[in-house]
Amino acid sequence: MANIEIDAPGTSQLFIGNEAIARGALEAGIGFAAAYPGTPSSEILGSLAQIAKKMGIYAEWSINEKVAMEAAAGASYAGVRALAAMKQNGINVVSDFLANLVMSGTGKGGLVLVSCDDPSAISSSNEQDTRPIAKWLDIPLVEPGDFQEAKDMTKWLFDLAEELGTLCMLRSVTRIAHARGNVKLGELPGKQHKAYFDQIHDLKNVMPTKFMPMPSSLRHFFLHMKLDKARDKFELSPFNRYVGPDKPDLLIITCGSCWLYSQDAVKALDLEDKVGILKLGTLWPLPEKFINKHLGKSQKILFVEEIDPFLERSVMEIVANLPSLSPHPTFYGKRSGHINAYGELNPNMVIKAISTVLELTYQPRDVVYGNKAEAVAKSNVPERSMTFCAGCPHRATFWAIRNAIKLDGRDGVVTGDIGCYSMALGPAGFFQVRTMHCMGAGAGVANGLGKLGQFGFDQPVLAVVGDSTFYHATIPALINGIYNQSKFILVILDNSATAMTGFQPHPGTGMTAMGEPTKVISMEALCRSLGARVEVCDPFDLESTTATLLEMMAEGGGAKVAIMRRQCELVRAKKEKLPYKVHVDAEKCIGEACGCDRLCTRIFLCPGLIWDKKTGKSKVDEVICNGCGVCVDVCPQGAIIKEAT
Amino acid sequence: MTKKQLVKDPLNLVITGVGGQGNVMISLIIGNAFVRDGYFVTVGETYGASQRGGPVMSHMRISKETQYSPFIPDGCADIILGMEPVETLRMLGRYGNPGVTTIINPRPIYSIDVTGGHAEYPDLDKLVETVKELSAQTWIINATEEAQKMGSHMFANAILIGALIGSGVLPLDKKSVEPVLCEVFPKEIEANLAAFNKGIKFVRS
Amino acid sequence: MATESKGCKELFNEVIDAGLCTLCGACTGSCPYLVYYKGRIALLDNCTRMDEAQCYDYCPRTYIDMNAISQKIFGAQYGDSEIGNAEEVLIARSTDTSITEKAQYGGVVTTLLSLALDEGLIEGALLTKTSDDKAPSPFLAQAVDEILQCAGSSYMACPVLERYNQIPKDNGDKLGIVAMPCQVLAVAKMKANPPENRVNIGNVRLVIGLFCTWALSPHNFYQFLKENLDLSKVKRFDIPPPPANRFDVFTASSKTSFPLEKIRKFTMPTCAYCLDMTSEFADISVGSVEGIEGWNTVIIRTKIGAELMEMAKKKGKLQIDKLPSANLAHLKEASLLKKKRALNEIIKRSGDSNNLIYVGLSTKLTEKILE
Repeated sequence: MANIEIDAPGTSQLFIGNEAIARGALEAGIGFAAAYPGTPSSEILGSLAQIAKKMGIYAEWSINEKVAMEAAAGASYAGVRALAAMKQNGINVVSDFLANLVMSGTGKGGLVLVSCDDPSAISSSNEQDTRPIAKWLDIPLVEPGDFQEAKDMTKWLFDLAEELGTLCMLRSVTRIAHARGNVKLGELPGKQHKAYFDQIHDLKNVMPTKFMPMPSSLRHFFLHMKLDKARDKFELSPFNRYVGPDKPDLLIITCGSCWLYSQDAVKALDLEDKVGILKLGTLWPLPEKFINKHLGKSQKILFVEEIDPFLERSVMEIVANLPSLSPHPTFYGKRSGHINAYGELNPNMVIKAISTVLELTYQPRDVVYGNKAEAVAKSNVPERSMTFCAGCPHRATFWAIRNAIKLDGRDGVVTGDIGCYSMALGPAGFFQVRTMHCMGAGAGVANGLGKLGQFGFDQPVLAVVGDSTFYHATIPALINGIYNQSKFILVILDNSATAMTGFQPHPGTGMTAMGEPTKVISMEALCRSLGARVEVCDPFDLESTTATLLEMMAEGGGAKVAIMRRQCELVRAKKEKLPYKVHVDAEKCIGEACGCDRLCTRIFLCPGLIWDKKTGKSKVDEVICNGCGVCVDVCPQGAIIKEAT
Repeated sequence: MTKKQLVKDPLNLVITGVGGQGNVMISLIIGNAFVRDGYFVTVGETYGASQRGGPVMSHMRISKETQYSPFIPDGCADIILGMEPVETLRMLGRYGNPGVTTIINPRPIYSIDVTGGHAEYPDLDKLVETVKELSAQTWIINATEEAQKMGSHMFANAILIGALIGSGVLPLDKKSVEPVLCEVFPKEIEANLAAFNKGIKFVRS
Repeated sequence: MATESKGCKELFNEVIDAGLCTLCGACTGSCPYLVYYKGRIALLDNCTRMDEAQCYDYCPRTYIDMNAISQKIFGAQYGDSEIGNAEEVLIARSTDTSITEKAQYGGVVTTLLSLALDEGLIEGALLTKTSDDKAPSPFLAQAVDEILQCAGSSYMACPVLERYNQIPKDNGDKLGIVAMPCQVLAVAKMKANPPENRVNIGNVRLVIGLFCTWALSPHNFYQFLKENLDLSKVKRFDIPPPPANRFDVFTASSKTSFPLEKIRKFTMPTCAYCLDMTSEFADISVGSVEGIEGWNTVIIRTKIGAELMEMAKKKGKLQIDKLPSANLAHLKEASLLKKKRALNEIIKRSGDSNNLIYVGLSTKLTEKILE
């Protein structure tokens, strides 16, 4: 990650959106940052944690988003500027706290919530637009349109949040959060003032300071007043602007990443003097007066945003309340089907929408070339499905689980959760996982299945969960399983990292976000103290792990725990060299013949093993192989050889 | 020496490969070099889950005028740097055009779809010929092979950056790039610089 | 009945899921997809060899041309005798008390194997070993004391052939094998059509087959024993010949008996369809002697068998005597009765007297047996 504390105001740096947000928070004088890793938000806390010590601020990986948000609120109550960052699912996790926080108000330290959505769920279980929560719970909301704005908006938002005494939200998406762009730096802040939780509200009022949502209706009324104040400021905000001719043939109303896509599209179509773009940065409450000024500009209005028609509907509410716009424009967007109401957008889609609305044809490249290139790519380009990295302990774990379930013979069911191991829904993990929802849901669903014995259910139940997910959300479900005596095995995949999101530390790793050593919360000690049977296995020892799982499946009784402990390969590879040099003895390999049928490349599917069609044998790809040696135990002919390095 | 100009604005560069190959490193180095030379740079990347063996592409938009979006529109790539053959062809299919320059590292990485028997990996020689047919200019750089000779396939990234610079398609020279290279590759600076220079040589010879 | 190539899927359809599997182990151990576990054959993953898989070929419950096998092993027609090709039938017992103490009856199997090992005729023997808790498992014995450890019958099926299949394919050790009739049949199929990518079937130099009326389910029966006995104290099991009608369990100091009716429900269903009581395709077949305790009935079938028995006699390892003609007559009668019962069950199951499911017999021979 880039160094966001460079003291060089006025210079341009190449930051990803998340680094820009972090820098904005830094320039605003933030003191406290908390988050849980979640793509595409992780680098916000990550880059703050990297420079936290040096800059005298505090940054932590909280156990989950709820605690992160609550902790940040705590800091705000003691007068410290605080930020909580999360991906879209985190918003769901914190929603109950938010619903109460907006009523209770924040403290003297401005409190900002950053939500990073993942349109098309590129690295998520679901796609979800979190902006509606601002409307739902009355939270002032902004959305940056580029990398500079990501910084500037964050900085400004702290001032707003502090002035209003209410939580403010910034929403970003993958293509801002993880894309890189120019960011001109501002000044770094001065020293933090002392943190203190006021004892009395003010000199006039002798009531002790309290932060609570009651009386709710009255506070709701006050909240609306705060939002009215926010709206007034938004009417004058430089984050809202119009670019284009006075009387455009088409007016695009856009926000966020779509601001850049719209500009790209207009330029590609060479329509800069025909199409105007009304870019909004402050999305809730909407600056109605500002918007009204532009609504009459064109007969055609196209809304471009992702994912939901949030801005579109909010603007249409304004239109509904206007004395008739004359002549009344035609509105295009998600409602009309010109822009997808699902998935992420890109310039091509905006180009298509504009072309359709203005009845133009657009040919980005020579047609003959285009047809040839597309045809060639279609017929010659094989798919590239995701899989576990070579050397990943999850591959070995799911191999052992598969073997155990087949040997057990009672059609065992595996419920799944969120992480790299979610890939076990597919061929990478031998299709072992059957359910997947949100953090902690695997153990939750298993609890239900494990109590169905009285209905004739006799299938063994296993719930797989990652180590970080275990601490985040699964402990209550495990307690439920022990207390209600639900028959399932919680298989914790302990690879000593929150791997999927970038190897962040968690309570089991003994390291904090700021790189300080800390207490290790031993998962086996924790689970044993709950009264569960706990076994610790090394997934690379396939035979022993399979035997342990079989034995645990045959046993009766309530929830029990099997910990699969082996370090994530990518983490290990950074610190150590390859443990083994692995190669295939082509003489011993029988390939497709009866007795093997290409087990290693057809089913085991480690990308380190490839199939040489010419010789009809397997081969190790030395560029990909990480030398774990697990495949040696998989090959039925003993044709894979490992040599200790 | 007079600073070179962008041959068009924005200049669109696609870097493509497989998760784990080092796409991000290359775009970071080139991107930072350009920003320091006073350009607007936008880099769009796919990462997270897609890193686990899936295809990875970086879109770089370089401009003197303004910040562009992190997506190159279809058919508008000016340069394609392909770290893996099939991914190179995939990019040409979507973003190529008759004027594109392609640099390709012809070293296959087989997907599990291929090794699992569900898909065919195309004939490599034919693939390279097709790439040539679809590009105005093509350089074939055996970056992985040369990197392995130097001791590790990881040096392929620096070799390919060298090839990009040496080809002259970007208004960047060695002087702009070398300091950034040293910052981004803190380990093995010497070896990476040597690899970088090798890449330049390959293209110029 | 065609000899079309078939694969793993048909093996499950026709045999394993159809209740015909004998747990002989011929299909397991030679590929990573089929594994024996706790009394069943588990399929770990799908195999794509639907049209030609060795697991189907060597199963003793897929089509067998009985005459072809008989020609291959003996150069003789199948079905001429009720007890299969028998060069000589006699009784024998070991002269070594350390063997007879541990052995089932006369200790002939243990004696012959030990002799064969000592003389270098074999370098290993594939046997059934019962552990301290009496659970049977396949075992490759490579020393005389290891052979002795495997003496005594558990009466439970044991997939000995899995252990054979697991031997590395480039291993050249000469092997002996002690097997049930179904396993002997599987080995005979392998000899007739040598498997590929496995240890060479030619390594198997000596096949000792056991007499068998039925075998007990290794998982269910074992659970029953565990529930009713302290297995760590058990020394030996025995089903004495009729009219005894019981299953005996011996500890060092006592004997517990279960009525045979109680035990019968643990019989493997597939045994009802088996025509072979005396392991007709072995080199030597060994069983008990009705009415004469401490001796074995021995049927010598091949040259190898004859030579080994001769050597045992010459070296004074075995005491040999004639089998009384009444015993021989009874043996033939019992063997024929098993064939009759089996054929009747098969025809009942197939619903067609011309459909003998897996047995390749001429109509003439079928009728002859059934009359």
